[in-house]
Amino acid sequence: MTKPRVGFYGLTGCAGCLLSVIFNEEELLDIIGAVDIVAFPFIKGENDNECELDIAFVEGTVVSNEDEEMILKIRKRAKVVVSLGACACIGCIPSEKMFLTKEEFDRLDYKKVSRISDCPLGPRPLHKVISVNVSIPGCPPDRDEIKTCIKDLLLGKTFRNYTDPVCMECKLNENGCLLDEGEICLGPITTGGCDAICPTKGLKCYGCRGLTNDVNFDEYFTLLESKGKSAREVKQIMETFMSIEIREALKGTKWENA
Amino acid sequence: MGERITLNHITKIEGHASLDLQIENGKLVRCDLGSIEGSRYFQALLKGRKYTDAPEITSRICGICSSAHGVCSVMAMENALGIVPSKQTLDLRELQTIGERIRSHATHLYFLALPDFLNFESAIEMAPHYKEEMARALRLVKLGNDLIALISGRIMHQISTTIGGFTHFPTQEELDDFKQRLVDAKDDILTTASLFATLKVPDIQSDTTFFCLTRKGEYAVSYGDVQVGDTIYKQNDYDKVIKEYHNEYSNANFVVIDGKSYYVGALARINNNFESLSDEAKLFMEEVDFTLPEFNPFMNNLSQAVELIHHRESGIAILSNLKIVNEDIVKPTSLHSGHGIAANEAPRGTLWHEYKLDDEGIITYANIVAPTTQALLNMQNDIAKLVQQMIDGGESKDSMVLEVEKLIRSYDPCFSCATHFLEVKWH
Repeated sequence: MTKPRVGFYGLTGCAGCLLSVIFNEEELLDIIGAVDIVAFPFIKGENDNECELDIAFVEGTVVSNEDEEMILKIRKRAKVVVSLGACACIGCIPSEKMFLTKEEFDRLDYKKVSRISDCPLGPRPLHKVISVNVSIPGCPPDRDEIKTCIKDLLLGKTFRNYTDPVCMECKLNENGCLLDEGEICLGPITTGGCDAICPTKGLKCYGCRGLTNDVNFDEYFTLLESKGKSAREVKQIMETFMSIEIREALKGTKWENA
Repeated sequence: MGERITLNHITKIEGHASLDLQIENGKLVRCDLGSIEGSRYFQALLKGRKYTDAPEITSRICGICSSAHGVCSVMAMENALGIVPSKQTLDLRELQTIGERIRSHATHLYFLALPDFLNFESAIEMAPHYKEEMARALRLVKLGNDLIALISGRIMHQISTTIGGFTHFPTQEELDDFKQRLVDAKDDILTTASLFATLKVPDIQSDTTFFCLTRKGEYAVSYGDVQVGDTIYKQNDYDKVIKEYHNEYSNANFVVIDGKSYYVGALARINNNFESLSDEAKLFMEEVDFTLPEFNPFMNNLSQAVELIHHRESGIAILSNLKIVNEDIVKPTSLHSGHGIAANEAPRGTLWHEYKLDDEGIITYANIVAPTTQALLNMQNDIAKLVQQMIDGGESKDSMVLEVEKLIRSYDPCFSCATHFLEVKWH
């Protein structure tokens, strides 16, 4: 049986998601053995950038014109495209740039002299540019989830994303609530599956896994306002990782211009 | 007509970089090394954010050295707000940094550097032939990852490391167990160092000055003054010492001291801080005849291996004295306008974070200078020197490309880090 042809690619990003694949220290050699890695420029000198792919894992945000060309080409070559990590899934921190004011953006004068030009449409997650088959969320993505995804794809199973909010796992871990401590914790509005690792270790949820379904924004903003936080402050925390999703979700609501 | 060599996507490095070489009549007339990474504008995004968001955001600059950014950001904020962290906090941060250094060096040495020397295109291709080496590599990567996770809550993008202390603590038992793992890692680390001591490297001498943190009696990881050659500067004077400028072929800045390039990273640290290395590290250097000063940039690989030896021992020393207490976080007594600068030694060299805050703790200015930004000009100069040497020696274009790539990888550059710190006009 021929092994599935797999490529691991990075658009503009931090390499952290690709490293999260490599950092499966105990299973890495098995993963390498189970597939035919035809491209992985981060750790391979010889990369086939033309062949058909069974699976393409892609980290990073579409920031430059080169990123856009690259992802369009990968889409044409690959049967399955996997958005690997928060940048690829939701735009993560780089996409916040889209929402800088003109005055703020004009301060970035070096963009005019750079030979790498920004996409005119601004930084975007993959699904805004191409159709994506599978998403592994998170910054960083969870190593176990990456393994499960690879396993499922190889077995022809559907990789199922966790859909409940972070609060669900946080409660199961019997943590006290950071909202009660006056923190702008995004647990109630963020998709879990991370075992609520941040709140469990004392850090508020910053929303790196993206919005969960059926978020009640009115309730959330009102709760935080009752604790003395301004809607602007709350929105700023929401925009850290999921600026694009938040702008879309709040469009037409009274929180749009907070 | 001259010959043009363009490497548009240099592989086996962190991030995206390109190199443009032009050779005319046997002379190298152009050597442009640049980042072709898209810009993420981190410094601009920090403006208007609350001071507590900075470590969370800046950690995302880099996957391989997120701890260095996270910890440096925390320290700069503490300096801005006049927070003095406890001795235990400093020890835990040092352990986190050591963990990251072990992980980063092991990843670089085995996955990015070694395949070149053993004539494989990658560690993936190498793995079936060098099973023992790959198993060792992964054990060392795991050792580093587990230490980072034990201290900071996760292998990447710290959770519990925060301004003023820690939000979560490992247990004494976990720390004691980890100490034993460091004790047990001796063979893996010494075998790694011996392996890299056997690799033949091209003879090239960098015309450079070594730059790193220094602290009396310690192999400085964070805090301390800055040593540039034989001169010592205070951290707060960094912007008077190093100057950034921009070249249009690169999406990363260049940095100079008095108009000249300098060297950051393990080779610089070994050269400047040799006296503070552990006995085992010094003994190893003596055994393999690694003498200083050493100006061959390829020796950065072996220098990283020497640091593995040193930090295994420095980690054991910290863990031997650490009696963990669930301390409260030191909060700022009041929010006030402030200005904080901090540096630490990331795996690839000295990293700088600088912030200005208004009287509500909102960031009004941020400047971050990453190691690879500082290394870029030196790398470019060394490439030019190596290429000219190889032209003069009548070497083929193919072997030239191979050696140039090897040289770039020996610097262990991180172009993701380097790219986001181009000049921002703040007013």
